[in-house]
Formats: sequence, C-alpha cells, structure tokens
Amino acid sequence: MNALLTDAVFDPIRIPLDRWFNDFINWLTFNYRPTFQAMKVPVEALLDGVSAVLLWLPPVVFIALVAIMAWRVAGWRIGVLAGASFTLIGMVGLWGLTMVTLSMVAASVLVCLIIGLPLGILAARSDRFQAALRPVLDVMQTTPAFVYLVPVVMLFSIGTVAGVIATIIFALPPLIRLTDLGIRQVPDDVIEAAEAFGSSERQVLFKVRLPLALPTIMAGVNQTIMLALSMVVIAALIGAGGLGRPVVEGLNALRIGQAGIGGLAIVLLAIVLDRLTQAFGAGAKRG
Amino acid sequence: MIRVESLHKVFGPKPDEALRLLAEGRSKDEIREATGDVIGVQDVSFELKPGEFFVIMGLSGSGKSTLLRCINRLIAPTSGRVLLQTDDGEVDVAQAGPSELRRLRQEHLAMVFQRFGLLPHRTVRDNVAYGLEVQRVGRAERVRRADETLEMVGLGGWGGVLPAALSGGMQQRVGLARALATGAKVLLMDEPFSALDPLIKMQMQEEMIRLQRQLGRTIIFITHDLDEALRLGDRIAIMDDGRFVQVGAPEKIVTEPRTPYVADFVAHADPTGVITAGTVAVPPEHPRVDELRREPGARVLAHRTQADVEIEVADDGRVLGVRADGAGAELVPIDTLLAEEAPTSRYRDRAAVVRADRTLRTLLAARNLCNLPVLVVDDEERLVGFVTEREIIHAIIEKRGHNGDANGVTA
Repeated sequence: MNALLTDAVFDPIRIPLDRWFNDFINWLTFNYRPTFQAMKVPVEALLDGVSAVLLWLPPVVFIALVAIMAWRVAGWRIGVLAGASFTLIGMVGLWGLTMVTLSMVAASVLVCLIIGLPLGILAARSDRFQAALRPVLDVMQTTPAFVYLVPVVMLFSIGTVAGVIATIIFALPPLIRLTDLGIRQVPDDVIEAAEAFGSSERQVLFKVRLPLALPTIMAGVNQTIMLALSMVVIAALIGAGGLGRPVVEGLNALRIGQAGIGGLAIVLLAIVLDRLTQAFGAGAKRG
Repeated sequence: MIRVESLHKVFGPKPDEALRLLAEGRSKDEIREATGDVIGVQDVSFELKPGEFFVIMGLSGSGKSTLLRCINRLIAPTSGRVLLQTDDGEVDVAQAGPSELRRLRQEHLAMVFQRFGLLPHRTVRDNVAYGLEVQRVGRAERVRRADETLEMVGLGGWGGVLPAALSGGMQQRVGLARALATGAKVLLMDEPFSALDPLIKMQMQEEMIRLQRQLGRTIIFITHDLDEALRLGDRIAIMDDGRFVQVGAPEKIVTEPRTPYVADFVAHADPTGVITAGTVAVPPEHPRVDELRREPGARVLAHRTQADVEIEVADDGRVLGVRADGAGAELVPIDTLLAEEAPTSRYRDRAAVVRADRTLRTLLAARNLCNLPVLVVDDEERLVGFVTEREIIHAIIEKRGHNGDANGVTA
C-alpha cells in the first residue's frame, strides 16, 4: 500500500514506457517477423546437424571419445571425471536430454564464435567501434536472462531454436570482450617487429595478434560456454528441449527428485566443459 | 647504398606549419608554443657506402630511435627523402606505396630491436624464418636458411626451442639471425645490446664485428653508449635534440669534439681503442725531440723524457738503430712481442715497432713489454714519431695527440 502511495508522487511526470516498449515490439513483430523467422533457418540447420550426430552416436562410443579427449588435453584425472560423469548421466536416465542440451550449447557457441571473433577483432582495431559496442555489450550482459525471453518469443516464437537464439545473445559478450582485450594486450614491440619485416596487416593479424591473444580468447570461449549452458536451461521456460525441461516441470509439479537429477546432470556437464576448455586455454598459453 | 636527405619528423597537429616556422629559423620552443608540435628529427642528411658501419649516438630523447624508424617508415617522416639503392635503381622509401614499402622492408631493410621483439609462441627457428615466411618462401627453403643463419650467430642446434628458454644475449642472437636471414643489405639496429649485461654486451659487440667482416652489410646502429659506438662504428654521428651535431670517424670524434655536448660524452669515453699511434706519436721535428748529432746520411735523435736512449734515423726516414745503456737494441714488430708466450724481462734491449694505424691500447701493451720509446712507422717503414709514457698519459687524459701542448695548451 505504502509503495503504491509513494509511486503516486510521480504521477504528473509519469511516462508510459511499458506501452512504448510494447508498441515497439509489436511494430517490430508486425513488420519484421519474417526477417526474424528467416534468421532461425541457419541456426535450426546447425542445431539439427549437431544433435543428429550426438543422438546417433552410441553412448559407449561417445563416452569413450570424451574420456580420451579429456585425457589427452587435460590429463588422466579429467579423463576419468569426464567418462564417469557421462556414464552417471546415462545411469539416471537423462542421456537423450543431455545430448539435446549439449547440441544446443554447441550450436550456440559455434554461432557465438562466428559472430564474436570478427566483432572482437574489429573492436580491438578501432577505438570508435569499441566505444560504440561497449554499451550494447553492457546491456546484453546485465539484462536478466528472463527478460530476454519476452522479445525472443515475440520475434522468434517458442521452441528449441528460439531458445538457442536467446542463448547466443546472452553468451556472446564475454567472447567479444576477451577477444578485444587479448588482441589489445599483444605487446607493441612484437607488432613493430612483424611490421618491420614487411608483414601485411593480414599477416600481422593471423601470425602475431591472434596467436598471442589465443589464451585470452580461450578464456572468453570458456565463459561463453558456461553462460550458454546456464541459458539453455532457462530457455526451457519458452519451450526449449533438453535438461531444462525436467527441471522446470519438476519445479512446477513439485517433483523434487526429477528436478534434482536434472540439476545434477547440468552441473556435471558444466564441470566437464569447464575443465576441458580451461585445459585448451592453458595449452594455448604454453604455445 | 642509402642516402638520407633533409629528413624531418614533426609530432603534433600542424606539421606543415611547424616546418615552415623551422625554415624561418624559429626555435623549437617557439614552435611548440605556436603550434603544439614537437620536432623529433630536424634536417638530418647522410649517405652510406655499401658495407659501412654507421653508428648514431645520442641520449634518450635525442631523436635517434625516431630517425631510425623513419628510415623503414615504421614512423612516417614529415619531409625529406630516404633513397635506397636496389636492383631496380634508387627508391625513395618515404614515397613508396603500401605494397612497395612492404617489399622494401622484406628484401632490403631488416631490423634488430632493443627488446628483441621475438614471437613467444614460435620456436627460435620459426622466429628466424619469419621474414622469409612473410615473403612466402617455401617451408623447406625457410628452414634451411634459418638453420644456416642460426649456425652463423652461434645458435646451431637451438632451432627447436621457444625464445623464453634462452638468455637475453641468446635471444638477441635470434633477433640478429632473423634480420640476417632475409639477406637484406641494410641492417637497422635499434640499441640492440642495451638490454644486455655488460659482459654479454661486449661479447655481442665482438660477434658483431666478426659477422660484419664476414657479411659486409650496410649497418645503421643506434646506441647511447659512446664506447660501443667507438668500438663498432666506421663513422659516428652524434645526435642531440633531433639534429646531427657531429659526424666523423671515431678517432676524430674523440680527439676533436666539435661542441661541448660531444666533448662531454668524450670525457667519459675510453680512448685507448680509438686514438691511433700516428696521432699519439711525437714527430722527430717536435720540440720534445732533440737532435743529438748528425751522421752521414742519418740523424741521431733522443726523446726529452728518455734522453739516454739514442735513436738513429736515416734521411729517408727508416730507423737504423736504437742504443740504450751504450748497447744496440733489437727492433721488434709489436705483433711479434705480443705473440710471445711468457713475458720476458728484456725491457731495455728491445724496441717495439708499431704501425701508425694501431691503437693506443697497442702502444700500452708495447710499453708494458719494453721500456724504450715505441717507434711508430708508416706503411713503408718510415718513422712517424716516438711514443713514451709522456705521450700515452697525455693521450688518455686529454684525449688527443701531441699537438695540444705544441700550441701551448698544456704544460
């Protein structure tokens, strides 16, 4: 009651921003919905491709591959952890949903790389572009995940593909920021040396800047993967498939057990992905 | 090989205005007041012959690094020309288009950096091959030439390691190898040894002298260390406040500093490797040399500070003999004396003979081995003059030859 009374103080200067926002989204939807729907096509194709492969692979083969890769990249402990985690996920009956989640993460991270790396490189090269990009990235990063979902549903409707698109927007900023940072941190004397030997800008970028920025870029990839994983779960609210679904349904129906194992699978997936990408990053640092 | 003509570099918002004011003879402070511009390099011109080792020396802020970077246009000069002799005739680096500039840097102008500038993620071999890689030389050829060059700088067998595994001196050898591997005729070296320990620095300087003898590149070498400049340079330019204040052979810089700024540098330099015997020696006509008597076709002379030693010189200038303590002394070329394994105690029955182009350091060694005046001769064995402690001490303290006191400057 008190809160409402205080609000009344502002009545004379009140602006109907909620209505403007509403009108804007309606206008966008009305005029550009086909455009946004068309944007779904490549994302959907990518997602279908990845999930087809992951669901086709026999679990035993997948577990073996992941364990061996983790062992090669991060040592035997992480190899065992990865193998055991995926076996446990299968044992609690969440294999299929986990593969769906994993393909959503993979598809959105791939798209993030395709968009984020060039933007990061551009931001590192131009102070003006960086300054223009910064507020956009700030908004993307600070907007709570749930708030994204409203316009996403309006523009892309519901479902797994819409969920992946929400995930891409949510997970993109750290990759751009850290690519930018990594490239800017490359020491000037090394760049100067490369230029003194007649390198073209392209050669400086690919032979000097990017390799030296790689550890930082990998830290960005790691963060992007973690953000993507958290978002694909929330995306279950707008009908995306995967591990978010048993969690959301379990919460709604107070089936604690179902929500609990869903959460467990997500945590295991997160740990394995985190350890793996960190090991890749450390490898890049060693050269 | 390379000719720099009236090079200027102005940093700031109105370079053309600053150049105009400079041409009107305004001072740098006035120009900074009027335009906000800073003059980095002012009207520098020089020309290098192929194979010349040119050292530019100055304190930090004197503009020497800026000047060097203007030559390969890592910094674009404001005005002036940098003319480089190539197979297709003379090319002005300052006017070259982007792809032409890249080609000039790839094939003609290699550079070595104070902080090495190596790529930490590449092996030593791939660092050395970088210049070739940029030129799109094939992998096998690159590796072959990189390994060859590494061998040359004493790093054979280190090709497979990362630069971080090497000491500073070794890293700079990699930097040097990278510059040599492209085959560029002109080498720009930006204080390459300043970041190294004194002992390593000395080794690298000797290495540099050896390599230069072998390869004969045209080198522009920046340093703030006059001793380094004196040791390495065929010619030295002293730079102050963006200008060349004196250009000349090392000995001329030391013995005839043209400005107080140069004299100040020289005061702290070690002259023993620079000043030559010909400069130090007192000629027979000098007041410090007495003619004791004439003999048929010869004169007998004595140095005033060693009057008991008689030196007989033929009228054609050849030294006929030296007599000390009533006995004839043997005349021995300095290199024969220096090559003796154990020092002997025959201080007074041998006299050292030294060519005029040998250094003061050689004279010190000669005086250390025998106590008679050192005989300085020209290429035809004719006497140029004598050297006793008197001349050596004078040369070290005053950093010039005998002429000073002849004019009554020193007592």
